[in-house]
Amino acid sequence: MKKIVQILVAAAMTLLLAGPAMAEEPIKIAVPSPFSGGAAAYGDNVKAGVAMKIAEVNEAGGIDGRMIEAVYLDEMCEPKEAATVASKIAQDDSIIGGVGHLCSSAHLAALPTYVRKGIPMISPTATNVTISEKNKDRDGRVWSFRDVYRDDYQGKFLARYVSEVLGLKKIAIFYENNDYGIGLKDAFSGEAGNVGLEVVGSEGYMKGTTDFTPQLTSLKSDNPDGLFISGYYNEGALIANQAKKLGMDVIKFGADGLDNVDYINLAKDAADGTYMTVPFLADAAGEDAQVFIAKFKEETGRDVDWMSANAYDAAGMLIAAIREVGADRAKVQEYLAAMTTPEKGYQGVTGLTYFDEHGDAQKAAYVKMVKDGEFIPAPEQLN
Amino acid sequence: MLEQQLVNGLTLGVIYALIAVGYTMVYGVIELINFAHGEIYMLGAFFCVSFITVVGLPLWVAIPCAMICCALLGIAIDIFAYRPIRKAHRLAALITAIGMSIFLQNLAMVIWGSRPRAFPQEAVPAFFSEQAFAFSDVTITWLHLFIFGITFSMMIGLFLIISKTRVGTAMRALAQNRTCCQLMGINVNRVISFTFVLGSAMGAMAGILVALFYNTLYPTMGYVAGVKAFAAAVLGGIGSVPGAMFGGIVLGIAEALGAGYVSSLYRDGVAYAVLIAVIIFRPSGILGKALVDKA
Repeated sequence: MKKIVQILVAAAMTLLLAGPAMAEEPIKIAVPSPFSGGAAAYGDNVKAGVAMKIAEVNEAGGIDGRMIEAVYLDEMCEPKEAATVASKIAQDDSIIGGVGHLCSSAHLAALPTYVRKGIPMISPTATNVTISEKNKDRDGRVWSFRDVYRDDYQGKFLARYVSEVLGLKKIAIFYENNDYGIGLKDAFSGEAGNVGLEVVGSEGYMKGTTDFTPQLTSLKSDNPDGLFISGYYNEGALIANQAKKLGMDVIKFGADGLDNVDYINLAKDAADGTYMTVPFLADAAGEDAQVFIAKFKEETGRDVDWMSANAYDAAGMLIAAIREVGADRAKVQEYLAAMTTPEKGYQGVTGLTYFDEHGDAQKAAYVKMVKDGEFIPAPEQLN
Repeated sequence: MLEQQLVNGLTLGVIYALIAVGYTMVYGVIELINFAHGEIYMLGAFFCVSFITVVGLPLWVAIPCAMICCALLGIAIDIFAYRPIRKAHRLAALITAIGMSIFLQNLAMVIWGSRPRAFPQEAVPAFFSEQAFAFSDVTITWLHLFIFGITFSMMIGLFLIISKTRVGTAMRALAQNRTCCQLMGINVNRVISFTFVLGSAMGAMAGILVALFYNTLYPTMGYVAGVKAFAAAVLGGIGSVPGAMFGGIVLGIAEALGAGYVSSLYRDGVAYAVLIAVIIFRPSGILGKALVDKA
């Protein structure tokens, strides 16, 4: 018995002595995104980007010897879960800021908590317009930033592109019934009249739907020459594939939600002739970005998508801010909010990022397309 | 356009019917709504694709192999999850089933990852996507015909098993009175296992057909399909096999017409509205017999 006590005391002493000698506490960054449920694959994209950035920073010694640690919080792209996750982040003082949320709906639900508690967040992917209006606290300080353009910009851009460059006339729309799909569709439809497009039909669907043949069958009778997929690649691929099966030979186009190599894998040859706007075009990216693109492929075994690239930069921006002003939520916010000019901007793999007074990044949209089963930059860009 | 919508609805419907049959049979013999059945359907698709890509089997061998795996899994689920609480309150079994469903879904995500997968195209015969028939505006591919052919032959097979074989007779007897069956010397657990085998194999087939038809499979695909098939089973009269088949087809067509003519956002709404109407006006389902309470 005595011996056991001795051993225990010895063990306790060792722990006590070892305590101060251990490395300093890591700096935590929250990554709230869907990691399970129907949108888990998108969360996977964001996670890959953030993890790569953090690994790079940590390999280079972290920030003054303190390691960066990502806290991945699963919110399943559901607003209800996102709100819960947000209060979890708020309660953990060791979390300085975050990269997220992925879905606009989830981000909107979590936003009040970040604003109230003062937690700087950078969303790599949430494009919904209303976020700009709801991200300020009473003193007018912006807590939610994003390094991606807004849906209204993207939707209008698409309308102009398909009318002026592709010469389409009659458009049928498929939209996912959430903040992203509806926001994009509304911006597109609003601009359509101005650029001479006619929207002949508009069909909504829920995430996770697999069968689109009834809607396609009724859209087919309107003889559209363009099919606008205002949603994500998972359902987008099914729409393209089923349209082809029904003999609809139309040009398909959509926004950044379609940009993933899985779109081609799932839609097969039906993916050919799909145009999409993206905030990041691998082929047009600079030299630094090419290194990133190659490394991403080596580590994950797949081609980089814009979500991963944006998440990589969002994490980079947050870490740069912490490095500059220290691990303090309010100071990080001040630093990010002051990034309002190109000079103060952040140079990342997706180009230069700086924010307007709403925390929205001023990013250009590129157009890429699928040809012979591969993504290529569209032959004609529009600016 | 109506003809094409009917074809769309029928395709969807026969697949719902295949899954619904599994629900209804298990309910028939042990009065359990097996919510993990949707996951069996999902795993069927994943097993099949893994047999093709990892083991390198051709489609025609991979399909029966996947069905056998799911049949075994069905037995395992029954033995480990449901058998220990067979005599417990029905609510306990229901919660266990929901837990099993969540467990299997997440297990699939751990094993295969959360990204959606494409069905390996090199394993699929090229003629499947070719048009078999074309009259007026209707497009029917060979894959449509394959789906109809497989589902109808499986249903006829199931019907023969249930009505003509000894084990089928035992299943029907069990559905009527378990205690009596035990007294008559029927090995109740073996019959229940056989029920799970039949239901799971058909569910797996449905998953494979859906993955083939849509060229997509993902770990959460079982949930919606499971709920719809459950609705189909209730619609037809839960416990009744012909009812489940009929319910699946009705539900598929109602959905296609609802999505095509009303609004695509209401497609699930149409399906559930039909379900609610049946529950209100004919609680025992369209083909179900009005039950005399066992108490």
